[in-house]
Amino acid sequence: MIPMEYFLALSAILFVIGAYGVLTKRNAIIVLMSIEIMLNAANINFVTFSSYFDDVAGQVFALFSIAVAAAEVAVGLAILLNLNRVRGTINLDEIHLLRW
Amino acid sequence: MDIIDFAWLIPVLPLISFLIVGLFGKRMSEGGGYVAIIFSLASMVLSLLIAIPVLNGTYQGVYEQSVTWLVLSDEYKLDIGIYIDQLTALMLIVVSVISTLVVIYSIGYMDKEGERKPRYYAEISLFIGVMLGLILANNYLWLFIFWELVGLCSYLLIGFWNHKPSAASAAKKAFLVTRIGDIMFMIGIIILFTTFKTLNFSDLFAIQATGTDLELLTLATFFIFGGAIGKSAQFPLHDWLPDAMEGPTTVSALIHAATMVKAGVYLVARSYPLFVQCPETLLIVAIIGGVTAIFAASMALNNPNIKRVLAYSTISQLGYMILALGAGGYFFYYGNPADGYTAGMFHLMNHAFFKALLFLCAGSVIHAVGTEDMRLMGGLRKKMKITSFAMLIGALSISGIPILSGFWSKDEILAAVFETGEVNSIFLLLWLMGIVTAFMTAFYMFRLWFMTFAGKEGEASKHAHESPKVMTGPLVTLAIFAAFSGLAVLFGFGQVIYFGHPHHADAIEILTEVFTSPLTYLSIILAVLGVVLAYLVYCKKIISSDVFVSSPGTKRMHKLLLDRYGFTWGYNAFAEKLVYGFAKVVDKFDQKGIDGVVNGISNGIVGFGQRFRKVQNGMVQGYATVVVAGIVAILLILYITGVLG
Repeated sequence: MIPMEYFLALSAILFVIGAYGVLTKRNAIIVLMSIEIMLNAANINFVTFSSYFDDVAGQVFALFSIAVAAAEVAVGLAILLNLNRVRGTINLDEIHLLRW
Repeated sequence: MDIIDFAWLIPVLPLISFLIVGLFGKRMSEGGGYVAIIFSLASMVLSLLIAIPVLNGTYQGVYEQSVTWLVLSDEYKLDIGIYIDQLTALMLIVVSVISTLVVIYSIGYMDKEGERKPRYYAEISLFIGVMLGLILANNYLWLFIFWELVGLCSYLLIGFWNHKPSAASAAKKAFLVTRIGDIMFMIGIIILFTTFKTLNFSDLFAIQATGTDLELLTLATFFIFGGAIGKSAQFPLHDWLPDAMEGPTTVSALIHAATMVKAGVYLVARSYPLFVQCPETLLIVAIIGGVTAIFAASMALNNPNIKRVLAYSTISQLGYMILALGAGGYFFYYGNPADGYTAGMFHLMNHAFFKALLFLCAGSVIHAVGTEDMRLMGGLRKKMKITSFAMLIGALSISGIPILSGFWSKDEILAAVFETGEVNSIFLLLWLMGIVTAFMTAFYMFRLWFMTFAGKEGEASKHAHESPKVMTGPLVTLAIFAAFSGLAVLFGFGQVIYFGHPHHADAIEILTEVFTSPLTYLSIILAVLGVVLAYLVYCKKIISSDVFVSSPGTKRMHKLLLDRYGFTWGYNAFAEKLVYGFAKVVDKFDQKGIDGVVNGISNGIVGFGQRFRKVQNGMVQGYATVVVAGIVAILLILYITGVLG
């Protein structure tokens, strides 16, 4: 059996990659994709603990999380589509209307 | 249920009238004047129904009705209620009868006021209500509340013609000057409350103070007397009363002669069980009274304004009452009967009648001639027969001519002061001042009467005519009271209104007592001399009135009296230099100091906000960076401190 630490390390690496993408990428779609990676890192954690502690709740939770993530991506993409229509760009550095 | 259980209605009735006239007066005939008459009449009938049985002894002792009003703690409770004894009954009769007559008279006197009538009748109803409340109150707090309310009514009615600057400023002056007294009264009440933990008359009067309590009581009575000084226009807070004559004459008659200014005297009389324990206070009371009597009478000697003369006369007579109360209490302290108390209250009653009469007569004259300057009057006797005769009775009465009411009470006061001379010779000096005042009183009253009614017709008296019946009716009624109320002393006044022990003496004994005393003849002779001198100067003109201003010395004296001994100037200088100067300093401190600090703090915060809001730059990834950095920082801190293991 593969030790639990391997799964957790994989999850941590994915999370950090996602966070790096969110903080550095200028393209909003790539940021959205990075967020998905972070979410899935969390899902891996859920499933890992569920499996090792023999508790099905974690897996159920992961399924929920996938469904919610799908909805979130739909909303996010719709916003970006509109943004592109109105402002002609999805570069995050140029989108800073909500400020002082 | 007895009729006395309805005593609370006495002040409530005029207050209902105040509401009705105040709200709907504009739609009523005479601006609600008739409503005011009906309610004050009802109040008077109720007062008489209650007061007469109390005075003739049907009700024994003190009637008290009271409920707890405020509970401050287990120890400190405040009540609201009524307290009726013989003194209350006497005041009830005086106030309710005179107010009713004055309201009736007002229908004639105020007939040209038009739209302002409802205001007048509403305010006068309010005054009657709160004055009766003041008399009936059973504790010092409610006495004080009503005390302030009568002051408010006085302010409103002095300033009734508020389009005249002089009336507006007189109202303000009356309010501010009496306020000095009111604050002293309040201090006195606070001392009583903290020392004895009650303000109810019945509890306080049962106390025999000793030691520290007695010292505090002396202080409290002194401050309470301060309230009386303000309200009853005693020296040195007397100067508001002559100015208060700017109000309508009916107001002067009711408030500034017959009732409100008596509140100070009433206060001292009501607090007598406290005062008689403090001879120091009583000595001050007597001295203030005596000084006021002669001081105010001197200013009445040469004033040309008919109402001002009466105002000074009022101050002087109030001084008599205060003097009598002081002397009576002082005498009582040394184990003698408190004759001065009976004499003072007797004079209060008589003075209320004859001074209200004199003021209403003056009002009738002013109504007819349209001026208050006596130099423009003269020869009105033939045109105004009823008024001149009524005023003659009033003048004879106040001068102390035998049989008329003023004679009896003034004589009793002087006798009481003289006998107190046995225990402290300062009272002999006060007696001397009193007797000189009696001479002055006779002189200035007849100067007034002769200048107004006798001699050649003056400029203003050409088109004069007698006042309508609604005005002369009250005059005649009051004249009857002014002539005969003094005879009450022969019918047992001293057995009803007394402090300590009643004065049991029948009519014959009193008459022999009065007419065998050389002092009586001295005061009669002085009064007659005063009348004769006035007759020679102002009627026959055998002695020219110029003798009073012929030499430089007398001329200066003349001017000094007209300038009221510089008191008005002194008040103004005090207010302008000292109070206004101090106010300016305080204002500067407020603007520079306090406002500076407050504005500085707010400016600092606004400036900080202006700069700090730039952090909010709209870059979402910037925020996310801060969040991540924050979490990492927190984790690091927790790791280093060992919480995470």
